[in-house]
Amino acid sequence: MDCMSLLGFGACAPDAGFRAGLPFPADDITREAMPAMLRRRASRSTQMAFSAALRACSQAGRSPAGLPAVFASAAGEIQITDQLCLELTRAEPMVSPAAFHNSVQNTVAGYWSIAQRCTQPATALAAGDDTFAMGLLEAWCQLACLGGELLLVCYDERWPAYLAPGRGQVEFASALLLAAGGWPDAVMQLGRPVYATSAVDEFSPPAGSDPVLAVLPLLARAAGGASVQPSLPVGRNWLVDVHKR
Amino acid sequence: MKQLPCIAPASITGYQCVSTAGDSLHELLAALLANRACLRPLSLFPPPFATVVGEVVSRLPDIGPNLQSYACRNAGLALHALGQDGMRAAVDAATARYGAGRVGVVLGTSTSGIYETENAYRVLAGAGAMPDDFSFLHTHTAQASAEFLWRELALQGPCYGISTACSSSAKALGAAQRLLAADICDAVLVAGVDSLCRLTLFGFNSLQLISPEACRPMDSGRRGINIGEAAALLLLERPDPGNAACPRLLAVGEASDAHHMSSPHPEGLGAAAAMTQALQLAGRRPEQVDYINLHATASQLNDLSEAKAVHRVFRRPPPCAGVKGLLGHTLGAAGAVEAVVSLLALEQGFLPGNCGLRRVDPLCDLPIVAEPRLNSRPRLILSNAFGFGGNNASVLLEAA
Repeated sequence: MDCMSLLGFGACAPDAGFRAGLPFPADDITREAMPAMLRRRASRSTQMAFSAALRACSQAGRSPAGLPAVFASAAGEIQITDQLCLELTRAEPMVSPAAFHNSVQNTVAGYWSIAQRCTQPATALAAGDDTFAMGLLEAWCQLACLGGELLLVCYDERWPAYLAPGRGQVEFASALLLAAGGWPDAVMQLGRPVYATSAVDEFSPPAGSDPVLAVLPLLARAAGGASVQPSLPVGRNWLVDVHKR
Repeated sequence: MKQLPCIAPASITGYQCVSTAGDSLHELLAALLANRACLRPLSLFPPPFATVVGEVVSRLPDIGPNLQSYACRNAGLALHALGQDGMRAAVDAATARYGAGRVGVVLGTSTSGIYETENAYRVLAGAGAMPDDFSFLHTHTAQASAEFLWRELALQGPCYGISTACSSSAKALGAAQRLLAADICDAVLVAGVDSLCRLTLFGFNSLQLISPEACRPMDSGRRGINIGEAAALLLLERPDPGNAACPRLLAVGEASDAHHMSSPHPEGLGAAAAMTQALQLAGRRPEQVDYINLHATASQLNDLSEAKAVHRVFRRPPPCAGVKGLLGHTLGAAGAVEAVVSLLALEQGFLPGNCGLRRVDPLCDLPIVAEPRLNSRPRLILSNAFGFGGNNASVLLEAA
């Protein structure tokens, strides 16, 4: 496989001020993105990821039910995990079954497959500062080996401040609908993610250093005009070549 | 279902597993052949209720001073497995041969270093602040122990953690195979690591899934699961004449139930799809499979669902058994741990038994191997791993 094609993308940023400053279109949480039964119990991660993913699917004119999905998040369901860890400090902890099964990293993947009636493979991964880059690499490998199309969703909800001071304070989700090979009507084409042995100098995403924001340069390029610079940072040490006409 | 291409197989050029059965492959093999439960009372922290666990009781090695921020039970288990017979040397040899940038790490884990997070929250609850040495991104998050191994081994290839509950490390095997097939890497270290913690004990207990006694997978009297911990490492490389004597990973099939977050599909549809996909990706037929290492957790619904799934794929199912009555359910590590069990069966020539079995549940109706069957020569073994969220993976392994 020489390249993969971006057929559609979506972004969700619940904070209006942050959203207004983004150089590409982004949504607030879309209430209609999930059934009411699910929405009541859904984490911020799930709500944001669904909103971004459905936007990417509709932009590309694809049905979610037929797409394998890669869900990338540095900290996963950290809000409910935080509540559980607090509860576990008590003498007689009360852990609810739903809280427990909603604390796994693949919670979004599970609810996505259920809500969209999607029996395609869904994976959930984390890679610290390189979470988006490794999501993109996993997507590349799946498309290179199996062909077809897939959805890559990268999200993080806010982390409790005492876990990693100064980090994880932005709520954000992005979704890319990617296809194997070069498509003439693609938003743009992406090359294979490559490791740069020295840290990527220009990799300084706006609004702090949250892993979930590593997608920003790529989304800005996707929303912008034809570009001069071919290579984009997608993580602390990872670059991807982009081609946009 | 879309027609799948075949995927190039990967040679497994080294593997190790630290579990409640012991630290070495020799001890794991002895436990499999003896087929007696290695489960024991919990000693890591005061047990909150009656159960037995698959706990690693040997002393774990210290994390080096330069990587102290990664120190947690999960990293300790991983380092212990890396230190077993020849494992580190195998990775070092691959790095020397291919270059550090062509060797990656993919970890499968469900709860990573959360045992240390739980301990840190006790400090938080008392003192109002996390301990100074708490390092969220180096111990708690799902990639933490992958990053530890990556730094410990001075690798520069891709490094990430897959966390899909109990299918995590089976899916890590699939991701690693694709990194080789897509020519991103020349070698990938796959790790399946999970450690005992309060969250999983209380969590599975809230679901009324914990057995008070040693678990009995596929038995008509099964009462639930026992939680275990383990670290399994497997080194994958592209097949070449130099590793022709090594067993091979043929494919990992993956599928979603799209049914429920914590209950399996009642007819086993997702599990069956994962097994079918593994066979399709490898270009093999069901009747070529010699043995199935079942996920078989000993929960009522999981075992029934898996039995239906096997019947859906296999007109005449081959001999089957599950090893969680020996080792406990090692959660995110289970896929890699049981791949190692399957590799021992392929290389040593036997079919592992189903420890704890008295009477096969007639509703499951599978040809369960109760006691290990020696002098068998399995060539092709399918090994299942299914998790929360209806996340299914099935690993197909072949003898050299």
